[in-house]
Amino acid sequence: MELFDNLLIGFHSALSLTNLAFCLIGVMVGTAIGILPGLGPLATIAMLLPLTYTLAPVTGLIMIAGIYYGAQYGGSTTAILVNLPGESSSIVTCLDGHQMARKGRAGAALAIAALGSFFAGTVATVLIAGFSPLLAGVGFLFGPVEYFALMVLGLTAATLLAHGSFLKGVAMVLTGLILGLVGADVNSGAYRFTFGYFSLTEGIEFVAIAMGLFAFTDVVMNIRRDQTRDVMAPSLTNLWITKAEAAEAALPVIRGTALGAFMGLLPGGGAMMSSFASYALEKRLSKRPETFGHGAIAGLAGPEAANNAGAQTSFIPMLTLGIPSNGVMALMIGALMVHNIAPGPFVMVSNPEVFWGLIASMWVGNAMLVILNLPLIPLWIRLIRVSYWILYPVILTVCCVGLYSIGNSTLPIWFAAGFTLLGCLFWRMRAEAAPLLLGFILGPMMEEHFRRALLLSQGDPAIFWQRPMSLAMLGLAFLLCLLVVVPQLRRGRAEAFTEEA
Amino acid sequence: MDAKLNPRRADVESGLFFAGFGALTAALSLKYDLGSFAMMGPGMFPLLLGLCLSALGLAILTRGLLRAGDAARAVPLVPALGLTLSLIVFAVLVRCAGLAIAVPALVVTVLIPSPDFALRRAALLAVLLVVFCYLVFVLGLGVSLPMLSPPLSRWIGW
Repeated sequence: MELFDNLLIGFHSALSLTNLAFCLIGVMVGTAIGILPGLGPLATIAMLLPLTYTLAPVTGLIMIAGIYYGAQYGGSTTAILVNLPGESSSIVTCLDGHQMARKGRAGAALAIAALGSFFAGTVATVLIAGFSPLLAGVGFLFGPVEYFALMVLGLTAATLLAHGSFLKGVAMVLTGLILGLVGADVNSGAYRFTFGYFSLTEGIEFVAIAMGLFAFTDVVMNIRRDQTRDVMAPSLTNLWITKAEAAEAALPVIRGTALGAFMGLLPGGGAMMSSFASYALEKRLSKRPETFGHGAIAGLAGPEAANNAGAQTSFIPMLTLGIPSNGVMALMIGALMVHNIAPGPFVMVSNPEVFWGLIASMWVGNAMLVILNLPLIPLWIRLIRVSYWILYPVILTVCCVGLYSIGNSTLPIWFAAGFTLLGCLFWRMRAEAAPLLLGFILGPMMEEHFRRALLLSQGDPAIFWQRPMSLAMLGLAFLLCLLVVVPQLRRGRAEAFTEEA
Repeated sequence: MDAKLNPRRADVESGLFFAGFGALTAALSLKYDLGSFAMMGPGMFPLLLGLCLSALGLAILTRGLLRAGDAARAVPLVPALGLTLSLIVFAVLVRCAGLAIAVPALVVTVLIPSPDFALRRAALLAVLLVVFCYLVFVLGLGVSLPMLSPPLSRWIGW
């Protein structure tokens, strides 16, 4: 019954008045920003992260987690009502959710999405509580060699499953790793790549990178876009789900939860992959696959449950091993480090109230979303209708003051400005920016483990393939690379030939 | 048509970027002590990363030259530069003039290129935002930001 004791510690900390209040604020603000088309969870969290710096560690993390679920929920709302996916994980929600709304079932679609997500969230919370100690136990067996191999595997898989070109993804990871090395070297104390600026000795502020690459670049791309929005406003009396609809949604929700919970554990998995996989599964299993894309309830309920389950279980590798499986988790690790908590298996032992409090707050946050957001839908609809020219100056101002408040310095704003231009350049070159963030967060840790591993072996790189666990992980990473690169090379050669002919 | 004329731009451009950035990193890391593999100095890991990145960049470049890859996307230049400029305007003004000047300046800079720009709208939005920032950030979260910077308020004669 250790699990329940632990959850008790967690609920004790999550249900304190301050933490409840900040969980609520996080969920509400997250939803409000996630609802704005074009701003996904990553951009939302990056925007609001500086506001959590002044809080106590548990409270800050609970608020960030709240922002994350809120942003996801907000993204689904926009997808259903406006047919504009706020983020990649709600692309699937657009397909059938918006069709339901067109048929006058917008309220039911929102309710199914909310209740499905809540169910998935509850199951995922229990899974996290149950699995994390086991995985952390594995983490304790790891030495620097294994950690280095694990990071290589994690980064490879995360890049592989992210969309876009694999080679460019790896290049982005390497770019991120390099940027992460700016600042004082832990071992020798030498200042690297600081170009004589003392303010760079602590490294580049990661919030500035995240805001520039995600929030600001997203805003730039959205300024031009056509702003006429066709909102399918549901009337509140329409919110109730009919019995037939509930019966139709039940099984897909359960399947989606299971699938999402599993996918979330994989590096690179999480919300988006889970929702795509669940949509494909439901379509395959459906007796009437032709209804998909025309408002099939299974096509909404399954992916919505899956993306929420995936979003939550992706916390497991982050909390127990310190390995981020996607961009959002990279931000969470950054937030942990801001609060002087080194992510890894030790968090559970050294900061149990943080660890279990965060887990318990996940459930609390999901419950708040269901209770508060369904009645608040009219408010959200009004928010979607606000013109973009009002929104982006507000977003920019909040971001700028936030960046300034990190260290009462304007330097992060300058960096964010630079990374906005870089983000636009990456967008132009079709290079996905999330892998860069993963690399940036892992950079210093990876170097540390790499150096220690080679110190142990007295400079012999063979240590990486002499240890069985490390060999297995590196081998798997290598295999994954081959799986992607070989067909690409073949296709490339074929294309080159056809071009010559 | 543009996309058809230059079908390989995205790979070629990113290849050049990564190769260049990798080479720059490798070159800069030579300034630091490399040490040996067993006792690595601060320069070794960046050197390895830089070399890997430039090799990968060259591979992407070669691939881009050999086969028809993705076309590069056209960045909306005016919004991109306008937004960046507004951030810089804020960064410069917030210290030397204070929040009450920096926020309106940011709002005006970012809105001017927009077709929705109108001075009255921008002014109203700016005033509301200054009030919002004061309530939430200065009073609520205790961020130490002066509404008007000390030299400026002295100059006005407060």
